[in-house]
Amino acid sequence: MPTIELTTRDGERVTFAAEPTETLLDAAARANIFLPAVCREGGCGSCRVTRQTGEVEHGPYSKAALSDAERAAGEILLCRTQARSDLELKAPFDRAAIGFMPIPERNAAIAELSSAGSSAVRLVLRLADDPMWGRAAEFIPGQFVELALPGTLIRRAYSLANTPNWDGTLEFLIRLQPNGAFSSYFADRAKIGDMLVVRGPQGSFTVDEASQAPRWFVAGGTGLAPMLAILRQMAEFGDPRDCRLFFGVNREEELFAAEEIETLKTALPQLKVALCVWKPEPGWTGFSGTPTDALASALAGLGTLPDLYVCGPPALIEAAEAVALKAGIAHDRVFSEQFLRA
Amino acid sequence: MFCYQCEQTYRSDDLAGCSGSKGMCGKDAATADLQDVLIHVCEGIGQYAVRARALDATDPEADRFLLYAFFTTLTNVNFNASRFVDMIAQAAQIRDRVKAAYEVAARAAGKAPEALSGPAAFVPAQDLNGLLAQAGEAAVRMDLSVVGADVVGLRSLVLYGLKGVCAYAHHAAVLGQERNAVFEAVEHALDLLASKPTELGPLLEEALALGRANFTAMEALDAANTGAFGTPEPTEVRVSPVKGKAILVSGHDLKDLHAILEATKGAGVNVYTHGEMLPAHSYPAFKAYPHLVGNYGGAWQDQQREFAEFPGPIVMTSNCLIEPQTRYRGRLFTAGPVGWTGIRHIKDEDFRPVVQAALALPGFAEDAPAETITIGFGRDAVLGVADRIIAAVKAGAIRHFFLVGGCDGAAPGRNYYTDFAEAAPQDTVILTLGCGKYRFNRNDFGAIDGLPRLLDMGQCNDAYSAVVVASKLAEAFGVGVNELPLSLIVSWFEQKAAAVLLTLLALGVRNVRLGPTLPAFLTPALVDVLVDKFGILPIGEAKADIEAALTRAA
Repeated sequence: MPTIELTTRDGERVTFAAEPTETLLDAAARANIFLPAVCREGGCGSCRVTRQTGEVEHGPYSKAALSDAERAAGEILLCRTQARSDLELKAPFDRAAIGFMPIPERNAAIAELSSAGSSAVRLVLRLADDPMWGRAAEFIPGQFVELALPGTLIRRAYSLANTPNWDGTLEFLIRLQPNGAFSSYFADRAKIGDMLVVRGPQGSFTVDEASQAPRWFVAGGTGLAPMLAILRQMAEFGDPRDCRLFFGVNREEELFAAEEIETLKTALPQLKVALCVWKPEPGWTGFSGTPTDALASALAGLGTLPDLYVCGPPALIEAAEAVALKAGIAHDRVFSEQFLRA
Repeated sequence: MFCYQCEQTYRSDDLAGCSGSKGMCGKDAATADLQDVLIHVCEGIGQYAVRARALDATDPEADRFLLYAFFTTLTNVNFNASRFVDMIAQAAQIRDRVKAAYEVAARAAGKAPEALSGPAAFVPAQDLNGLLAQAGEAAVRMDLSVVGADVVGLRSLVLYGLKGVCAYAHHAAVLGQERNAVFEAVEHALDLLASKPTELGPLLEEALALGRANFTAMEALDAANTGAFGTPEPTEVRVSPVKGKAILVSGHDLKDLHAILEATKGAGVNVYTHGEMLPAHSYPAFKAYPHLVGNYGGAWQDQQREFAEFPGPIVMTSNCLIEPQTRYRGRLFTAGPVGWTGIRHIKDEDFRPVVQAALALPGFAEDAPAETITIGFGRDAVLGVADRIIAAVKAGAIRHFFLVGGCDGAAPGRNYYTDFAEAAPQDTVILTLGCGKYRFNRNDFGAIDGLPRLLDMGQCNDAYSAVVVASKLAEAFGVGVNELPLSLIVSWFEQKAAAVLLTLLALGVRNVRLGPTLPAFLTPALVDVLVDKFGILPIGEAKADIEAALTRAA
């Protein structure tokens, strides 16, 4: 992977690695280096720097942002450039113009712990007040945090199920894995008031706000957590966009969050929900099968194709992508977050 | 989408205008198209309102809606497609109400109501996709191939000037200052646009009429601001943070700032101004709040970095909002006409959620070294020392005045306005207003006979103050404004600046230097008209432009 070395106007050096498939601006952001940029599409010239050595590929841009003469003098736009070799760049701004934000690491106490169906728990944490971060729970619905048990190096990523708030509340749905380090902690030892370390928010599984397409959410098990966060935020904002939720579990007894889903249906009258049980008992009145089976039948003969948001185990995501492909949904309109075994 | 209403619109060799999936400002195609449809329906309101007004059947609520609706379509104001779907439905209802009132009034006067076509008869679709399908007939370039680029360009000048008038008039209206002349001008311009005019002459006349209406709107806003908050006076403003919880207030709406200061009284939260809110510090009513502690950050185009670093909630009360970044979008709030999908919106001036956020966020951990600037040279402050200014001019101590005002583009290479201010000779005075001043307002320009060389007159709408000062000085010297040793160096970014420019033209102010670039909607032929008729000049190189201004004056 090419290495990019950027020298700021005040002579500081900033280094990051860039995949040949990403823009220099995105590559820096991935390393938590937020370079000055405004339009991010080659129109404003805010991210102009001078290339001193190395090869690049430059995408389309507005002449107002970068004139032919400037281009000839080696200037490039970070938002439009991909590296083709190691690069040395000279920036027209000071290091102070660059944002560097570490991933927040904060302490939080267990406020609530209860079972959620037969194989998951619902956990509520309350963030402790912190001189650097305050007590606010700031994140974008769909994001996750890593939790660490105090005094251990073991960390696990869990999606947040609630919406950002000012009293520091974080809500999670956690699947209990047989013999998992975290699972056994939550199943056996955790008690109200225990302190955990929270590292985040992280992740980019968030809704594409600019898209006008309907939003369809496909969740397997505790993959429901980020969907709840997104739908709850839509409810808070009174978002009128069409949306559907396909929520599946293996057996009926594993279902959870029934009350939360009912509340959402009231707040979002346009929300349609399909509860899916793969191996139902006789008498089950919901959908029998996986959520991707339900998705496939709902997509059949549909006019306006939705954006798909999928969260759950790898097999669910593969299946959803296959269904989407068949229905003609573009690959870049399928957004997914994969749950790995903890 | 097609939009070329602002300065930063996409320009390449063969295209001027944003026409992809997203504009340079971050406005997505659906929102842009919906804004076109909203304007189209508003033109229909104008068609009926003009005729109803002629029969004394006015509807001030409809006029207020027009101001607000147009304000939402300015650059960097509202990016929320669903808000536009709602507003289009509302606009159609209002149009039908005005239509009914017009028909009743016409019959009462013994006349048969006119059957109107175009926007008056347009039936907006019920849902988003239907509306997007209708956007074509509402687009600014709808009949370009028939009427040509000059006509479309001049219609655009009228439309964008109208947007600016509406924005200023809305700010004044929320503080209780309304002018019938402005309502009338707005309706008239909408009716004209609805008729798809093809003659350049009447369009140019309309542009100048809007310039005059904008002068009235700015006068109303000046009366609203000084009436509610007192007369601005020279004031030192802290521009570095102080320890403690913090709220940042951006945009132009002084009424919202006032509501926030009331909501934070005794809450242990400091309030900072951002961007165009800076002039608030010079009003007596705002100076009375000890927790309005200072100004934070620079011009609007730096907000993505500055907001990310601000340790408290941020409120946008009007433009300029640019795409909120992950690092602060959760603590960003919009108010009034502003909106962005997925960003919390404050309704009815209930700022309590912002106060909660401020208390939950860390605030500034310590005091930064104190740093201040001096602002508040509105017309009263300047005219208060008019005799000293006149004496200094007559004695030769002040050779020339430069009004360097307006708003600036984002490109960092554009140092014209800084270069201009810095290269202006020591015996010249720089008056400034708007957001462009953030490029140079921390520099020390010194003083002439005790008068600061840099006089900050306020927000972009305080162009009214500048015009009043210029005409009073002209009166004192017994000359016309164009004979004063004064040059106007105007940077435009969005439609309020377009309205201010029309005002200057309507008042007969010549030799305005306009930059950073000329509007993309003005064709070369239209630029020629502006150059010939009004002496408008594009900016060149700062030193040469200063030289030319001084030579002209000499």
